[in-house]
Amino acid sequence: MYGELIAATSVLLPSIMGLACLGLTGRAVRRAVITITAVSLIASSILLFYNGGFVYSPNYIFEISILVFDIGLAAYFLYVGLRIKNVLVIGLTLAQLLLVMYFEYATAGVRAEPVLVIDNLSIFMNLIVNIVGSMICVYALSYMDEHEEILQLTKSRQPRFFFFLLLFLGAMNGLIYSNNILWLAFFWEVTTLCCYELIRHDSTKDAEKNAAVALWMNLIGGVALAFSLFVGYYAIGSIALNELLIAGAAPVILLSFAFMALAAFTKSAQFPFHGWLLGAMVAPTPVSALLHSSTMVNAGVYLVLRIAPAIKDTHLTWAVALVGAFTFMLTAVLAISQRVSKRILAYSTIGNLGLIILCAGLNTPLAYSAALILLLFHAVSKGLLFMGAGVVENRLHSQNIESWEGLLGRFPLTAIIMIVGMISMFLPPFGMLLGKWAALEVIASSPPSIVFLMIIFMVIGSAATTLFWAKWLGHLISLPVREAKLKAEKLHAPYLLSLLSLLSLDLFISVGAAFFISNLVNPTVGGGYSVQIGAPLFSINTTIGSFPVLLFWLAVGIIFIAGFAIAKSKGGVVKPPYLGGENVEGNPLAFRTVADSETEFKVSIMSFDSIGEGRLNKYALVGGTLLLTLLFLVVIF
Amino acid sequence: MGIDRKITARMQSRIGPPLLQPFYDIIKLWGKKPFITSQLQPVLAFGYLGFSLMAAAILVFRLDLLLLLFTVATADICLIAASFNSKSPYSHIGGMRELLSVLSYEPVMIMSIISIYFVTRSFLVGGISSLAYPLLLLLPGVFVAMEFVLIVEMKKSPFDISASMHAHQEIVRGVFTEFSGYTMAMVELGHWVKMMLILSIMAYFWAPNLLIGVGLALLLFFVSLVVDNVYPRLTWQRMLKTTWTFGFTLILANLAALFLLGGV
Repeated sequence: MYGELIAATSVLLPSIMGLACLGLTGRAVRRAVITITAVSLIASSILLFYNGGFVYSPNYIFEISILVFDIGLAAYFLYVGLRIKNVLVIGLTLAQLLLVMYFEYATAGVRAEPVLVIDNLSIFMNLIVNIVGSMICVYALSYMDEHEEILQLTKSRQPRFFFFLLLFLGAMNGLIYSNNILWLAFFWEVTTLCCYELIRHDSTKDAEKNAAVALWMNLIGGVALAFSLFVGYYAIGSIALNELLIAGAAPVILLSFAFMALAAFTKSAQFPFHGWLLGAMVAPTPVSALLHSSTMVNAGVYLVLRIAPAIKDTHLTWAVALVGAFTFMLTAVLAISQRVSKRILAYSTIGNLGLIILCAGLNTPLAYSAALILLLFHAVSKGLLFMGAGVVENRLHSQNIESWEGLLGRFPLTAIIMIVGMISMFLPPFGMLLGKWAALEVIASSPPSIVFLMIIFMVIGSAATTLFWAKWLGHLISLPVREAKLKAEKLHAPYLLSLLSLLSLDLFISVGAAFFISNLVNPTVGGGYSVQIGAPLFSINTTIGSFPVLLFWLAVGIIFIAGFAIAKSKGGVVKPPYLGGENVEGNPLAFRTVADSETEFKVSIMSFDSIGEGRLNKYALVGGTLLLTLLFLVVIF
Repeated sequence: MGIDRKITARMQSRIGPPLLQPFYDIIKLWGKKPFITSQLQPVLAFGYLGFSLMAAAILVFRLDLLLLLFTVATADICLIAASFNSKSPYSHIGGMRELLSVLSYEPVMIMSIISIYFVTRSFLVGGISSLAYPLLLLLPGVFVAMEFVLIVEMKKSPFDISASMHAHQEIVRGVFTEFSGYTMAMVELGHWVKMMLILSIMAYFWAPNLLIGVGLALLLFFVSLVVDNVYPRLTWQRMLKTTWTFGFTLILANLAALFLLGGV
């Protein structure tokens, strides 16, 4: 009873509050509504965690409503397709609509029992979605004000914005509870709707174009889900996901899972569907943050994690892993040549999702744990990074990372937040590195043929990741010698609250990684596998390796305290850099050149256009398509 | 390190500095009047030293090898960050090139460690000692691949793109340009620790008799010096291609041979 109330609240509250936002034009009221919703959602996810798992079948009236909304949604997509004259949108929507309607007719409204299953994986996802998602909504309060000021809008479009933002969260929650595949597909489509509407929020030509791409790519996923529904029902006569998952590994069942995997790949922007996520960067930053760290893309990964226990030891699982591995490697390489901050973050997201999918595909207890660890830490770090990038973008009026030079001197607070965020993505002892460490151990302990296939992808991806983060990081801390003391800049309350909360959360879960792994990850793993990671308070132990997390943090603390102590005691006079002896008095950035004239030197980020998108994107598309075909071939043969 | 300079000098028909010169250098550097380019620089320089020492401790306490690698990478990132921190052209170029050096050796190191896992079934250093055979007999390809890592790490030709013992024309001291006095001392010390670290890992390739292991490590060390004196500096693209091609091929061939012959 209690749990059901929480579940219902987490789906219905955001939807209702979202509708409320649509009607409200007052800024203060809207802030209140969003804040209340945010707090409630965070509270509900924590309460759900303490409540534990359960099953629930809501009143039949909800099933009818879902069907009605589903058809309404399809009708709306059809209308959109006609409005923007996009054949793909129209075609895919029609396909999906016809499939679902025929299915309902042919099966005379088959039901699933139970409709909702809330297990440890749902609780795990719920925490991530609601905590990170709510923070982003709070952040959006300030961001959208600034955004509309920059765009010089006379009439605020925020009501519409926050409606879709909150609806998004509600749909995500519904998605992770759904056991009835029709319900899953419905919530899936609602997220597609929100994605489309949010990307095109600014109504520029670019926004409309990219939103359309996002729409049809995600609709492919919707159609794939519809097919999986068909095939699944044909196989076992049921549309209950939990029954499908224990129905064995006959080819027809695997085919259903293959379609689900395909849907997951579209949602998580794996190759060859990465285009929409990159295009989505034109949207206001909270959209990018929400889409890319806590909701949309996690829906895809969630589905893969859901079906992973059922496809263990099949060829399908290796095909899934391969898609993840290839995506991880190539996105890491592609990120190196990017100059737009949000595109780097986008490629990084796609790559990390690929890594999660790789782990889920490798399908051992340790692999599943690694996938969950990566998912958890990525959501927090990436959310933080996107939000920080949004603040910087509003300040600098530029998304080019060249203009981020010396950010530490100009906007110290934001810069430090970004720096910690970046470090948390690729350096120990933060959680992402922990996940990467676990992933490497997983790959190593896989069958030899798998190792040979995956290891090159993994190591190149890993090294490339280090390269683009460190390159960007270095540019941020490049301080001209004359900068004296750093003075923290002013940040609006919603920014401060959301950024600092996520920053603290990031640090908290990284320092306490062992705790969170034993209490959050391991119970979730235990649902389908034997728990392989021992996590006593101080370290993470697997059967083949050990990562003393707390000790590492201690060491980091000692090193930096000692470093600061030495720096303080030895001190030093700040001097201009070496410029071949041609320094100019009083200007540490200039040197004397022709006829003793003064010239300022410039340092910029190294560009790697030779491995840029222009050259590599076709490999991504071709490779991705080939791997997708492989996905279905291994099922059929 | 003193041996390094002495032998290199002898190869070049010079007498070379005294064996203990590096120690004299560090002591002298520590005592010099401190000049820095930013308040952050000394902290990051110490970070380089600190994490290198931590990596050494990980080896000494026989912990996880992957953890060791990531700690070494963190040390490198500290150095790179320190060089980017100073807004200096030479420092920046050096820092970027150092990052490319990390890009070169990190995959080879990861694959070496995974190869070691293949034969010991453990990522812990202790696993190497409990093997029946010396590692070298099972993983000769990996041993040779580690030579490439050593050369990159020692910043010797042909992979000394980010810095060198002697100033290069276009990059001066590269990644080390803006360090002086005590910050330079810390960086030198850190560099030395890292070099010892890699040589120690190489020594583990003959774990049953570590004396032989040390001999092997010193042999590769000597080879690095010969290579340094023979080869000119390569471009970063060449460095990347060479380390990756040779590294990956050697290691994968090694593993394939193991798989086919022994069924690991």
